[in-house]
Amino acid sequence: SNRIGEVDDYVEGQWIPTGCSGCTSWCSKEANVVNGRVIKVRGNKNSKVNGEVSCPRAHLSLQQLYDPDRIKQPMKRTNPDKGRDVDPDFVPISWDEAMEEIADKILELREQDENHKIAVQRGRYTQLRDIIYSHVPAILGTPNNISHSSICAEAEKFGPYYTEGYWNYRDFDVLNSEYIILWGADPIASNRQISYYLGVWPDVLDKAKVAVIEPRLSASATKAHEWLPVKPAEDGALAVAMAHVILTQGLWNKEFVGDFHDGENRFIPGKTVDEETFEENYTHGLVKWWNLELKDRTPEWAEARSGVPRSQIIRVATEFAEKAPKALVWMGGGPVMQVRGGYTSMAISALNGLVGSVDSEGGTLRGAGVPRKSYPAPDEYMDENAQEKINYQKIDQRGYLEFPALKEGKPGSGVVTNRMADGILKEDPYDIKMIMAYWNNFAFSAPEARRWEEALKKVDFIVHMVTHESEMTRYADIVLPSTHHMFEQWGFLNQKGNKHTHLWLARPMIERFFDVKDPEAEVQWLLAEKLAEKGFDKLLEHFKNFKDPETEKEPTNEIEFAEYATKLTLQPIWDPNEYESGDQFDGWEDFKAVGVWNSDEYKYKQYWDNFGTKTDKYEFYSETLKDALEKHAANHNLTVDEVLEACKYEAEGEVAFIPHYDPPFVHGQKEEYPFMFVDFKNRLNREGRSANCYWYHEFNDINPGLEKEKDVALLNPKDADEYGIKTDDKIIIKSPVGEIECYAKLWEGIPPGVVAKAYGQGHWAYGRVASENFDRGIPRGGNNNEILVADYERLSGSTAFYSHTRVRVEKS
Amino acid sequence: MTKYAMVIDLHRCTGCGACAITCKIENNVPRGFRWADYIHETKGEFPNVTYTYIPTLCNHCDHAPCVEVCPTDPKAMYKTEHGLTLHDSKECIGCRQCEDACPYGVVYFNSEKAHEFWRDGKAQEVVNKISKENDVIPPYYNPNRARTYAGIRPPDIVEKCTFCDHLIIEGKLPYCVEQCPSGARYFGDKEDENDLVNQMLKEYMSKRLKEYKGTEPNVYYIRDYNKNA
Repeated sequence: SNRIGEVDDYVEGQWIPTGCSGCTSWCSKEANVVNGRVIKVRGNKNSKVNGEVSCPRAHLSLQQLYDPDRIKQPMKRTNPDKGRDVDPDFVPISWDEAMEEIADKILELREQDENHKIAVQRGRYTQLRDIIYSHVPAILGTPNNISHSSICAEAEKFGPYYTEGYWNYRDFDVLNSEYIILWGADPIASNRQISYYLGVWPDVLDKAKVAVIEPRLSASATKAHEWLPVKPAEDGALAVAMAHVILTQGLWNKEFVGDFHDGENRFIPGKTVDEETFEENYTHGLVKWWNLELKDRTPEWAEARSGVPRSQIIRVATEFAEKAPKALVWMGGGPVMQVRGGYTSMAISALNGLVGSVDSEGGTLRGAGVPRKSYPAPDEYMDENAQEKINYQKIDQRGYLEFPALKEGKPGSGVVTNRMADGILKEDPYDIKMIMAYWNNFAFSAPEARRWEEALKKVDFIVHMVTHESEMTRYADIVLPSTHHMFEQWGFLNQKGNKHTHLWLARPMIERFFDVKDPEAEVQWLLAEKLAEKGFDKLLEHFKNFKDPETEKEPTNEIEFAEYATKLTLQPIWDPNEYESGDQFDGWEDFKAVGVWNSDEYKYKQYWDNFGTKTDKYEFYSETLKDALEKHAANHNLTVDEVLEACKYEAEGEVAFIPHYDPPFVHGQKEEYPFMFVDFKNRLNREGRSANCYWYHEFNDINPGLEKEKDVALLNPKDADEYGIKTDDKIIIKSPVGEIECYAKLWEGIPPGVVAKAYGQGHWAYGRVASENFDRGIPRGGNNNEILVADYERLSGSTAFYSHTRVRVEKS
Repeated sequence: MTKYAMVIDLHRCTGCGACAITCKIENNVPRGFRWADYIHETKGEFPNVTYTYIPTLCNHCDHAPCVEVCPTDPKAMYKTEHGLTLHDSKECIGCRQCEDACPYGVVYFNSEKAHEFWRDGKAQEVVNKISKENDVIPPYYNPNRARTYAGIRPPDIVEKCTFCDHLIIEGKLPYCVEQCPSGARYFGDKEDENDLVNQMLKEYMSKRLKEYKGTEPNVYYIRDYNKNA
């Protein structure tokens, strides 16, 4: 019987294109706007990367947008004391008053010839970032634009760059692959292109065998064919042993790598090979690699270190290589964002080289470029002082002996984000007097987070531009409330997946219900206006060149500036007269309506003839790394061996230029700290920014092993028994640098000797849901970054996050 | 006649929870309730461990114990001619017998006013600013839910999954089906040979939860979350 009777019309509302920056998947989205409210989000079907598919955490953006704890208006600190337990006594001020304070401080520092002591910090971003991150510091005259990149991934880029000349994340041709090794990557749960991989993973599992190498039973491991629970930090041993197996069994890809002249396999365990007997095709240094490293890296040797049975190492390596070249290794951050992870990054990457799956069908792919127009250059608006000072040493100490940060082969060119705190604390190379920071929270998101609290205390004047008051905001002098990137501002980002690169466009789609502004463009315009009012007009004059490309109109306010800047740089995408590649549009309005541009489909083997390395070949013996290390050594009048020692590596001589096993470097003695600590990422993390959404806690149990409404550390039941710990006990986890409190959860998906905990909780200043007691600053759960030691994979500048800290556990 | 059923392909399920979260959004489901839920289980000892995950929801049983026990006249919990088990919030007296009778634990009782989180002073400030009507609690409130059910269910009555009947009548799919990122859910007419649900049930062995209870559920599961498990 139908009891419902007449029903109201269905309210469709409008579906407005946007994109999500809740993680670096950067999926296209559409938001459903009904009567001026956003009520749903979904994937934008026009994307050839993720299409209509949306991951679970994107939906939490609704609770972020309407969070009652968002900052409502600009605020100013009235209590000069700074500290965790000190109330900043923020008072509301107008945007004009806020700009007044900031402009005065900038001009004071310029007056005192200390403008290089102004730092700009960037966390998450849209690609409108160039304005705040590049143009503003250049014209103010400071070298200190410091991004978050090396607390994100740089060691992940290190291996691919120093083998195949590609400093970036990659795309994986999973639908054409027949064997996939997920090495510390968890594509159905976290980074990258999660939406896309959630959509295709069932089909991938039908076609390919999937092996997961990861100490804990990850989400992807729960569905995989093989799980290799490697001992934390011993990934390098496993990687070189797999290479050993592939070579001794003659399973390398002959087309890509080449072969012995007479076809006889001379890769015999323990025996060196005459380089002259082997002819390589697209690679360089295979025999050197064998002789220097691989010949002794037997599966037996690796079993003893990695804890993975010899038989499993042989089986996985063999089956993987038998599928060559349609076999790929997908490397994540876990195995390589470790103190000695740089060479592990090379060793894992090099497996793709051995099976010839680099830049190849069913293998690892690069992404397509995005046609963009450069913004007008700031150069002519930089005075002499600025020209000189942007070349000063940066505060993150990149380029120091112990921080080579060899981005793309250039010493000192990569960021060492987490080192900035030490730079500030030690005033080395100088003190920092002002920070303008946006969309970041280093006092929560960077290991040994408390150092940041001390460092921030030392800085006279901090401007924090964020949606929520957070740990870092507690040290701010001026707080500027930010728009939500998906719904309230202009922005765009590009990302690769499914053999395409897409770029999506976000735009203001609802009325702002609080007095918020976009930090990347709008706030910078207001600042430029205020500086001009006070006699420094270079920034504003520069910004006036950001004209609407259709009307040639100069921007007259912050809203126009943000829109024109977006439109200007994306002109080759939407303007048919400037068309370069990929999807075509009839103009700005057409592109706005579609909301996403797609590149043409990726073409295989684009780089085989020129990988962009020193030798143009795929390098098993990295001439590219040798050159970079020698340059860095020369900068310090030292040898490469001395550089490696300063960077905490054991490698000496030629081993420094090949993928090799360097034994793990771990903080804390086993006697005092019996457990290895394994950090992992919660499926619902919007990078530590979703903890004030109650759905985040309500659905915490969609992460294998975790519990709803609780922050738990995972322990193997055998270990827990030994310590008398039971599930739901409150425990304290102590490391050499700090301690946190959370609940215990006994779980068989964790190896004995390991404590694993998801990052994301433990906020003491993010809002009422994220904290146990927001007013009193009591955290809900524990922040892993309070126990992780601040250390680095120094060759890339990457912060170490994984398997480098030992802990002990006590009942609290 | 149309007989609605859902097929969940556990091989396609990635255990991500998007069904459970998006259900909350579509149906304005309060904190703590899960019309769409999941059961997970870890078995074995390290390193021989398996983890399985089964998404759950109201089974819209042919022999629905919740309907059988409903004491009101007409029954607040009732079956439609197309096999949906629906709840009439106006008839419900909050006796909770359906909640006790349901073998699957998918009937929820509102002991307090729903969405308390969005009713305090701070949240009310947001609500007031985004709507002149002051009635959008939560702020992302979906008005379409109110087409066939209380948009938000009042205190002292129960609530449950309706297979998104307000979307079905529009020719749309239940929201958990539409939003499943892995394409693990199918919804349709199991009596119609041209319907994918019908075809799936022919092609694959299927199982239902607690079949021994004799409830004849209309949510079917095919394949395995992990063959090794």
